[in-house]
Amino acid sequence: MYDVNILRPSSGILRTDERGRMTLNLVLIQIVNGLVLGMIYVLLAMGLSIVWGMMNIINFSHGLFFALGAYLAYTLFSVTGNFFMGMIFVPLGTAVIGMFLELTLLKRLYRLNILYQILMTFGLALIGRELIIILYGPVGKSFVPPDILSGTITLGTFFFPTYRIFLLFVSICITFGMWLFIEKTKYGSIIRAGTEDSEMVSALGINISRVFTLIFGLSMAIAGLSGVLAAPIRGVEPMMGEAILGICFAVVIIGGMGSFMGAIIGGVIVGLSQSLVTLIMPSASIIVIFLVMALILLLKPRGLLGIRD
Amino acid sequence: MSWGRLKVKFQKNASLVIMVGIFLVLPFILPYRALATEVLIFALATVAFDLLLGYTGIMMFCQASFFGSGAYITGLLIHHFQPNIFFCIGTAIAGVALLALVFGYMGTLRIGSYCVLLTLAFNELIFFIAYQWKTLTGGSDGLRNIPRPSLEIPGLFKVSLLSETRFYFFALFFFILSFVLIRKITESPFGRILQGIRENETRAQAIGYNTQLFKIAAFVIGGSFMGLAGSLYSMFMNFVDINLVAFDTSGKIVMMELIGGMGTLFGPILGAAVVTLASDIANAYWERWFLILGVVFVAFVLFARGGVWGIIENLRDWVRVPRLKDE
Repeated sequence: MYDVNILRPSSGILRTDERGRMTLNLVLIQIVNGLVLGMIYVLLAMGLSIVWGMMNIINFSHGLFFALGAYLAYTLFSVTGNFFMGMIFVPLGTAVIGMFLELTLLKRLYRLNILYQILMTFGLALIGRELIIILYGPVGKSFVPPDILSGTITLGTFFFPTYRIFLLFVSICITFGMWLFIEKTKYGSIIRAGTEDSEMVSALGINISRVFTLIFGLSMAIAGLSGVLAAPIRGVEPMMGEAILGICFAVVIIGGMGSFMGAIIGGVIVGLSQSLVTLIMPSASIIVIFLVMALILLLKPRGLLGIRD
Repeated sequence: MSWGRLKVKFQKNASLVIMVGIFLVLPFILPYRALATEVLIFALATVAFDLLLGYTGIMMFCQASFFGSGAYITGLLIHHFQPNIFFCIGTAIAGVALLALVFGYMGTLRIGSYCVLLTLAFNELIFFIAYQWKTLTGGSDGLRNIPRPSLEIPGLFKVSLLSETRFYFFALFFFILSFVLIRKITESPFGRILQGIRENETRAQAIGYNTQLFKIAAFVIGGSFMGLAGSLYSMFMNFVDINLVAFDTSGKIVMMELIGGMGTLFGPILGAAVVTLASDIANAYWERWFLILGVVFVAFVLFARGGVWGIIENLRDWVRVPRLKDE
């Protein structure tokens, strides 16, 4: 059965006050929750967008690597009991797996129609999901954040779960780091140039094939890391990758394909709309994402900051 | 009609005749009748998808929302009103055509891979609507209690379709009708333009065709036939599973299409048959056989992009064309 367990914007604190009114307090809490959610989407959409911009691949296995990251973190945490180790080693692991798959399988398809790369990543996503089910079973597992990050932080009259604030902090740092990397470094300029015209970049004497492998690895590392970060909020289950893939696609469409800032704006818009709609009508919280997407697409077919077709 | 022309006509339709022949005996060869019906319905959906991917070059991922919506529309009609069977099918086709019009319009706003992203996202939208609107669709439990309607033309005749054999031939009628129609479409000038768009969309635009319009038309036609398949499927199963609108169903149709052979019309039928029969056999032994299907699919993408049909054609050429002898 297709189990639906997308990131829930909030679990316990979603209540109206005694008179049944929504308080400002509640709305503010949901805004923070929306940002937390949104940042997970930002991390995923960033990788998806860079890979598309550079390599012209729509990566259907992006969700798989999110799930893989979560499962690896779960394994590492249950073996060593150290959550932070997972934050370092899991992205490395997913990057290595990603680069291996790129080198052995995807690379053979670059000369062909883009369709075959899509189909390949789709096939890989399917295989990966089945492997996860075989190894870990079809039932999801809960993942409790480490002691040091459990509990709540009080800010004036508000209190937030510590882990969510930690997640927000880490993901903002990574996003900022990625921005520095892309905008300010030599490698970043190759990425930006490759997004414009990868053929020209290769004509300038840059080994584009190696750049592709590294970009794919980087994208998979971030996807794995977002899986690690999301696991304590939502637990791990085999379908989590597929469930989040559609949302990531919506984020990329809203922000505009291939745009770094677009991924950030899109992710935040989606996270916020999802968590705020949860206050009014919880059952529509995911549907609203796709409605927002359709609306933005009708107004701006390229997405908010899209660069090219 | 001269003998020669008759011969040409026969050769042109030989594959069709062979196919009809195979389908006439299929239910009696397979272990049970219902399996043949399942092959037939998925073959219809995959052939419809072939019009989009194989002939127009549109990669999309909302097959499930077309197939599943057809199933839900029919299921809901029968569940609540039990109207005439043709009314059920017609409404399902009309409803899905409308859906395909909207998705097609949005998906073809821009050239390129956007369509894949967008259609997958729309598929999720339909899935979550079906999942959350429990009072209407039954949510994750699916829509139950869909008695199979009888084949009835008021005032003329009424035949019960409860027997699986009868329902098979009922579905076969629609399958052959759709197949011939789709083949006619691909051979028509309209179909040629679709193939032109597949080969080079920018050039088709330069010649002066409004390619978006043609792509939307392909969406609507392909979608309608998928809706028909879904409609038949809900009558066949007497139940609408939520999975019919889920990502997995889209994936299944894509796999059938590629494994069978894109752009060949007959290939997708073969693909649907191979995947459906293999899954029926393998499921009995190992629930997670999808892993094997995934590996086979990846192997086809890497080594045999023409699918099973392509392999067959290669073999035929290999047999027919006398090979050059060394020295």
